[in-house]
Amino acid sequence: MSEWGIGASLPRKEDHRFLHGRGNYVGDMRLSGMKELAFVRSPYAHARITAVHKPEGKEHLVFAAADLVGVKPMRAPSNLPGYKASDFPALAGERTRFVGETVVACIGDTRAEAEDLAQEVIVDYEELAPVVDMLEARKPESPLVHEQWGDNIALETFLDGDMTEAAEKAAITITREFRMARQAMVPMEARALIAEWDNRSDQLIVHHSTQVPHLIRNGLAEFLGLEQRQVRVIAPDVGGGFGLKTYVEPEELVACFLARKFGKPMKWIEDRREHLIADANCREHHYLITAYATDDGKILGFDAEVTVDAGAYSIYPFTNCLEAAMAGGNLPGPYDIPAYRARTFTMVSNKPPLVPYRGVARAGVCFATDMTIDAVARELGLEPHEVRIRNMVKPEQMPYTNVAKKSFESGDSPAAVRRAAGMIDVAAVRARQKAGEPDGRLIGLGFGSYTEQSAHGTSVFASWGVQMTPGFEQAGVKLTPDGGLEIRIGVQSHGQGMETTFCQVANTVLGIDPAKMTVIHGDTGQTPYSTGTYASRSMVMAGGATSRACRILAERMAKIGAHLLQCDEADVEIRDGKVIGPGGEVPMSEIGRVWYLNPEELPSDVEMGGVEAVEGYRPDPDHGTFSYSTHAAVIALDPDLGTVEVLDYVVVEDCGTMVNPMVVSGQCFGGAAQGIGTALFEESPYDDQGQPLASTFADYMMPGPTEIPNFRLEHMITPSPHTEHGIKGMGEGGTIPAPALIGNAINDALRATGAEINQTPISPRRIRAAIMAASNKEAAE
Amino acid sequence: MTQITITLNGETVSADVEPRTSLADFIRDDQRLTGTHLGCEHGVCGACTIMIDGVPQRSCIAFAATCDGSVVRTIEDFDDDDVMADLRDAFTAHHGLQCGYCTPGMLATARDIVTRLPEANEKRVRLELSGNLCRCTGYVGIVNAILAVLDKRRG
Repeated sequence: MSEWGIGASLPRKEDHRFLHGRGNYVGDMRLSGMKELAFVRSPYAHARITAVHKPEGKEHLVFAAADLVGVKPMRAPSNLPGYKASDFPALAGERTRFVGETVVACIGDTRAEAEDLAQEVIVDYEELAPVVDMLEARKPESPLVHEQWGDNIALETFLDGDMTEAAEKAAITITREFRMARQAMVPMEARALIAEWDNRSDQLIVHHSTQVPHLIRNGLAEFLGLEQRQVRVIAPDVGGGFGLKTYVEPEELVACFLARKFGKPMKWIEDRREHLIADANCREHHYLITAYATDDGKILGFDAEVTVDAGAYSIYPFTNCLEAAMAGGNLPGPYDIPAYRARTFTMVSNKPPLVPYRGVARAGVCFATDMTIDAVARELGLEPHEVRIRNMVKPEQMPYTNVAKKSFESGDSPAAVRRAAGMIDVAAVRARQKAGEPDGRLIGLGFGSYTEQSAHGTSVFASWGVQMTPGFEQAGVKLTPDGGLEIRIGVQSHGQGMETTFCQVANTVLGIDPAKMTVIHGDTGQTPYSTGTYASRSMVMAGGATSRACRILAERMAKIGAHLLQCDEADVEIRDGKVIGPGGEVPMSEIGRVWYLNPEELPSDVEMGGVEAVEGYRPDPDHGTFSYSTHAAVIALDPDLGTVEVLDYVVVEDCGTMVNPMVVSGQCFGGAAQGIGTALFEESPYDDQGQPLASTFADYMMPGPTEIPNFRLEHMITPSPHTEHGIKGMGEGGTIPAPALIGNAINDALRATGAEINQTPISPRRIRAAIMAASNKEAAE
Repeated sequence: MTQITITLNGETVSADVEPRTSLADFIRDDQRLTGTHLGCEHGVCGACTIMIDGVPQRSCIAFAATCDGSVVRTIEDFDDDDVMADLRDAFTAHHGLQCGYCTPGMLATARDIVTRLPEANEKRVRLELSGNLCRCTGYVGIVNAILAVLDKRRG
């Protein structure tokens, strides 16, 4: 391992500009003649729009649905049989289907002036009955979100399995209901874009805070009726994404349309209130699980019914059915479960569309599965971590294809549990529980384990029916005349440190100093096509492609270098940024000089592609890599106040070869913190009329530094046999187990009270209610 | 319009501002100092934290019109500051930033902690930092960076 290559905790190259306030986010940009947009939004969850009254004399600055000539509604179909796609309009015309839906757009010289104008617009509505709860939505008497459907089911899937034997052999049968709340993703920078029409290139240029510039380009071209060559999407610095910035939103279509119509740049910056009430939400799963187990805790079968509240519309490009479809396939987790059956429902409701958030579907899945495991352990009086180990796929079973047809390539999940149990010191926690706390708080211990399928390939996405299936990922590398390197990737870095880590990959192959490299990303005009950064795929896919492109470059450099050294090509090697032969060496700057400036010195049979190469890559097989991890935590719960403090939190994870362990750890910590947010704090609640009840950070609880513990982390390294350098995807994983293990710890703490909670966020009010209910039940008995 | 004169990063700035213009908007839009970020515009997330008269404050809920005569320092103003230099190095060494959006506000608060509370321990650092939200790091690198600078300065 070189000090700069794969495996080094190289400090990030991007830090300097951020630490000096010199980042460049969309909100920081100002273009000549730029106007700003504000939107009039629906105050009703479900209503008919009967009239729009524009303020007199300002009609030319105010736009309703009928004014967006040529703009198509967004349609994100799925190939999954029976899926009902829905048209998501840029501006609602006849009907609004959630509070916050865009109805009218207003233009001003500043945002404040645009908002002033929006205040003057009057819209007449006729209220309709809303659909607010996903379980109610399944009932035949429910109002309908899309009348023409006849029901509220966007998609139903069924994974059949025979449960007879499991039911017959089971010593115990456990049934539980779990609910994970709807929440917002809350990157610190919300959505943002500036659209401008550039006459010279005949292009719509969109500066867009996105993770997936090429997919945004596809969507904008399709819905605006432009040719692809007429759209360029550029993502500058992006202040966090977590899945939020992978799709096209109505405001963006409006801004693009108006930029072209007026010939002026149009800016829209989503404010926090808009983010919390009107932007796409995430999570909101309901599970009904029946587990069959032997008296020593071996799970014989899992029977699951999954319902996801997908909101009002399908959203481009990932649809609103990915969550439920993935949940059905992921419930078995890292466990070897012989019999499995799952029915899933994707329900529409009068709430904002639901899109994948970090850990896509699996945070809910792990919450249901791992809390069921602990319920089994509690019922049998066994240690939950031992029940986990008993049920896990063992290393000697690898490679292993589970009951839901997921293929694990390598790893040792039981070892991760054992290490986590050792770090958290189970015996000491049990002794502490027995001794009791002087302040009367209750101590609880919880574990959560998962596998994270990542970098899902063509075959996996094709099976999900999504119409943006990733194929071969490409990367471009180019030696500059002075011996530096440009790396072009179609993914987009928005906190993951790719401006550093991709240099590390290239350094491992070429030995060039990362300080002499530039990573160009996030610009459809400058990078190879890519479906972008999501699904923990960037390093596996684009990193693999970068490595391969560098190897092509290395061969060509070796040939030129050998010619300059007057030796045989087979006798040279590339090391430390030089071509080294038996009798001498030439630095990369010499190779660059000769190719670009003095080609007369090149060998006569030189490869004409020169010192620039684009290469594609896809792992083989492409079913995705499987990282895995176990987290464990000790909590203290105050039974009088219902408050929870996380006292200790450990992470043991294995993502194969780590390109930059510091960055991997940072992703684990950040993910776990978001998971704790889901577990304890974050919720976007709605009243029975579909009104959002959390519209500021006073109502929407974000975890801060006093709520998040100082995580302790250990890495395991089992390289993937299927990928370049053995890398596995891992960016999302940290979020997955935290709700489950915090829930398990709380239920462990509550054991003596007889209370059990299976719903996030596990707020003080829910804890108090559960304790009260248990105590009332006991009194009644 | 209200006329104000403030000292912004060492320079005297006079301007007419609307009563409703926040100090953050004035700094970002009128003065084009975009290192100060807006994360919530209602005074909770701390991304817009800057120094006003030596005290870290939310520039999103401070009106520019009320800041007449103030000395204002933003992230762009600390290039000659030893504490900030140490913090910047430590934030990189401890991976105290990912997307970078909360970072200027974090540094403003961090510098205040280091200069005002030289004996602060981890618990105190977390408490002092509780007015700044970060969605990426889980606070681990930020807290460790501040502790490292406190440690270094204690010798």
